[in-house]
Amino acid sequence: MDVNLSTLFDSANQVILGKEHQIKLAVCCLLARGHLLIEDIPGVGKTTLSHTLAKLLGLDYQRIQFTSDIMPADIIGSSIFNASKSEFTFHPGPIFNQMVLADEINRATPRAQSALLEAMEENQVTVEGVSYDLPSPFFVIATQNPSHQLGTFSLPESQLDRFLMRIQLGYPDQQAERNLLTGVDRRFIIDELQVMLPPERLSQMQNEITGIYTSPALLDYVQALINFTRESDEFNYGLSPRAGLALLTAAKSWAYMKGGDAVLPEDVQTVLPAVAGHRLKSSNSNSDLVVESLLQHVEVS
Amino acid sequence: METEIDRRIIIFILASVALIVLPHSGHIPISLLVFFYSLLIWRFCVLWDKKWIPKKWLVSLLSAIAIYQLYSLNQGVFGRDAGTSIFITALGLKILESNKEQDFYLVSYLAFVVASSQFLYSQSILMLGYILFVTCSLFAALITLNTKNNDAKPAIKKILTMTAQAIPITVLLFFMFPRIDPPDWLLFNQQNTAVSGLSDTLRPGSISKLGFSHDLVFRAKFKGKIPPVQDLYWRGPVFSQTDGLNWTETNNRHFLRQMDKLVTYGQPSHYTVMMEPQDGHWIFTLDMPTVYPQKLIKNGLFQLLNPTKPKKRKQYEITSFLKFNTGKLTDTEYSDNTQLPAQPMPEVTQLVNELKGDNDSAQFLISAIFHHFKNNDFSYTLNPPVMEINPIETFLFKARSGFCGHYATAFVYLLRVANIPARVVSGYQGGSINKVGNFLEIKQSDAHAWAEVWLENKGWVRFDPTSAVAPDQFSEQNLESSTAEKQKNFEIIENKNLFNRWVTRAGDVWSNMDYEWQQWIIHYRGEKQSKFLSSWGITGIKSMFYWLTVLVFFMLGLFTWVILRNQKTNIDKVLMTYQRFCDSLAKVGVIKRKAETAHDFALRAKQLRPDLANNISLITWSYINLQYKKDSGIDDFKAFKKQVNSFKA
Repeated sequence: MDVNLSTLFDSANQVILGKEHQIKLAVCCLLARGHLLIEDIPGVGKTTLSHTLAKLLGLDYQRIQFTSDIMPADIIGSSIFNASKSEFTFHPGPIFNQMVLADEINRATPRAQSALLEAMEENQVTVEGVSYDLPSPFFVIATQNPSHQLGTFSLPESQLDRFLMRIQLGYPDQQAERNLLTGVDRRFIIDELQVMLPPERLSQMQNEITGIYTSPALLDYVQALINFTRESDEFNYGLSPRAGLALLTAAKSWAYMKGGDAVLPEDVQTVLPAVAGHRLKSSNSNSDLVVESLLQHVEVS
Repeated sequence: METEIDRRIIIFILASVALIVLPHSGHIPISLLVFFYSLLIWRFCVLWDKKWIPKKWLVSLLSAIAIYQLYSLNQGVFGRDAGTSIFITALGLKILESNKEQDFYLVSYLAFVVASSQFLYSQSILMLGYILFVTCSLFAALITLNTKNNDAKPAIKKILTMTAQAIPITVLLFFMFPRIDPPDWLLFNQQNTAVSGLSDTLRPGSISKLGFSHDLVFRAKFKGKIPPVQDLYWRGPVFSQTDGLNWTETNNRHFLRQMDKLVTYGQPSHYTVMMEPQDGHWIFTLDMPTVYPQKLIKNGLFQLLNPTKPKKRKQYEITSFLKFNTGKLTDTEYSDNTQLPAQPMPEVTQLVNELKGDNDSAQFLISAIFHHFKNNDFSYTLNPPVMEINPIETFLFKARSGFCGHYATAFVYLLRVANIPARVVSGYQGGSINKVGNFLEIKQSDAHAWAEVWLENKGWVRFDPTSAVAPDQFSEQNLESSTAEKQKNFEIIENKNLFNRWVTRAGDVWSNMDYEWQQWIIHYRGEKQSKFLSSWGITGIKSMFYWLTVLVFFMLGLFTWVILRNQKTNIDKVLMTYQRFCDSLAKVGVIKRKAETAHDFALRAKQLRPDLANNISLITWSYINLQYKKDSGIDDFKAFKKQVNSFKA
């Protein structure tokens, strides 16, 4: 593994305890130029994770707390009348940052949600006919409360598709919990963090990832997985072409992180739950099991 | 989103371009060269600090300066030098403003043109090697630019494969594609014209300078044995007329002489003379050339002349008879070759009378003169005293030392005083054998002057008066000793220590390579091609095109087949082979699950059967390589198959 990456993981693991795999997936998602959705109950470290990543990557960071009364202008900014010049000047909103944490995105109304999601898709914001480019790189880490909680508007499938991955953090295990309870306040640790992967290196890595080789045999496997979701009765609907692309990109990124120069089936299998979990809806069981059964049914070629 | 190009790639490209233009430094004006390299250095500076990026107006200004510079050189826009200058200037300007990926592609294409223009100036092997090297590095830079992969190794590997793939097609097209000799007016003026050579005036003293130059004059390759050294007199200018100081060629040489029929004896020598670029029009051949290319002229002095004074290397097929009789003399020849500038001085007449005594035969006088030279303290030197007034008398009676020119002129002069027709011939003598290619290399230092005397019933006969005083010069007079001398002469090289022998050997190998290169690559055109191809049974332009098409398609087909075979190596075949491996494990109860990857399965299988761990790892590793990794070929598949076949659970 690349030296930058391993130091990055070491530092992140000191802040967020016992979540090595999730941290890897989060970084994998960023390397693949994708946006990340973290879904879990409040207080398991969603915010800490995103803040830590922003710090370690040396990116401008801004948190937007979504509430039920948040307006699109609160996210993307608005034009305000400047009396002295007698014209409207645009005041950019918090979205004009390299890494944006959209906290509790499903507490906002669909109108505010779609303002964010459009920005994510277009990499630019249009206000009153004028387009403003978002910074580069641009990442959104959105957190979401489980939809059965009160006061939530769950994201529609079309918008979930915009996130490359969805991960869940879950409770820490006993040992991690103990360390957390006895350790220093996480906020202090985050303040002390150094940049481990500067943006130039990040964009270089992103370029290198596009060059990771995918053999015909591996593409066969990916296509078999996608086709299975479309043909099987188990799913309400299959994976979209965008989902297929996302799966391949994420797998490349994962292979790259492992230090490989070609994607192997295990790379696909590793990222599949995070990439496909939020995109598939089972007709009878919950999403984790859906992905598991998908893997079991498709033969590795 | 435009991503910035890695700085290292730009450095790589800039360095390649700098190297490509470098050999042009002798060909383009120095001001342009400085201009170009300043622009290149400027672009280097931009890499470190963006503030150096030139503004639009500055680029326009620089372009205007460049155009003015080109205009002021008065080269026009046509021709080799003008074209090269324009391309190099354009390349420099483009480099300066290059920033995006497509700019660098354009820079590379321009650089390729500049690189190939190098061959308009030099076609040596060394230059080819150099150009090949720099273009390869530029190609490698292009590959890294295109793949966005900053690692140099795969790029180099790729360019080497590409070059290797290109070679067969190149060779095929080179030998097969019909060559049409361009008309002379289409050829560019070559600047690297002739080296100094023999002049058409002999003034004893002018040849000694040549004695030290080791420039190659020509090469001669014999079909069959190389004649003995004492026959290797390569004929050049023939001097009949003298004013006492200078010896010049007679004006009558232009008339085709009403010659007596030439009679030749013995075995002919067949050989090829390859002349370096030359100033004179003499083609140096052994006496007496009988068969030679039609465009050459053989005149009354038995010289072979090329009226065009070729400015390039040229080669000629010659046949010579070493034994001959030129027959009778014409009146013009007689008066030309007995001409004296003035009444000879009394001491000269006295000397001649003394030498010839009562005997009137020319033969007797000749040997008397040889004895005179040998027995009277005459010595051979390359640094004789200056003899500006009455050089022959001074040489004969005072200085008594000189080199071939002195001896030859004095010898001829003495014979003429006795009314015997004689003349001075200059040219080259001997040559050194290249043992590798078995050809002779004749250098400027082999320049020589000797005499020719017309004898009754024998015609013109060659005598080398210098051999009377210098042991390593040969003539018919001391034929036996000269053969021994010759052996000794070649042995000297052999006797040197081992290191020197290797150096000599390496030099020979190199000259031979250069010779073959000239023979087969540079001189491969028109006639040579049809000769070569007809030896393969291909005659006529029609069948040439036919075979060319067939062979090109055959080769492309072959490539396609190899690539397709290598590329897919049939995934199905790999899978089937792997399935066999799984089956044999299944027999012992280790069954692969549907969703299990090869790697996971191997881990599990190794736990269940630790005794097979090594083989399982090996096969799995090969399988993963073949199925998922790049650049696996047929050989990998064969190895994999072998592993599976020998696997026993």
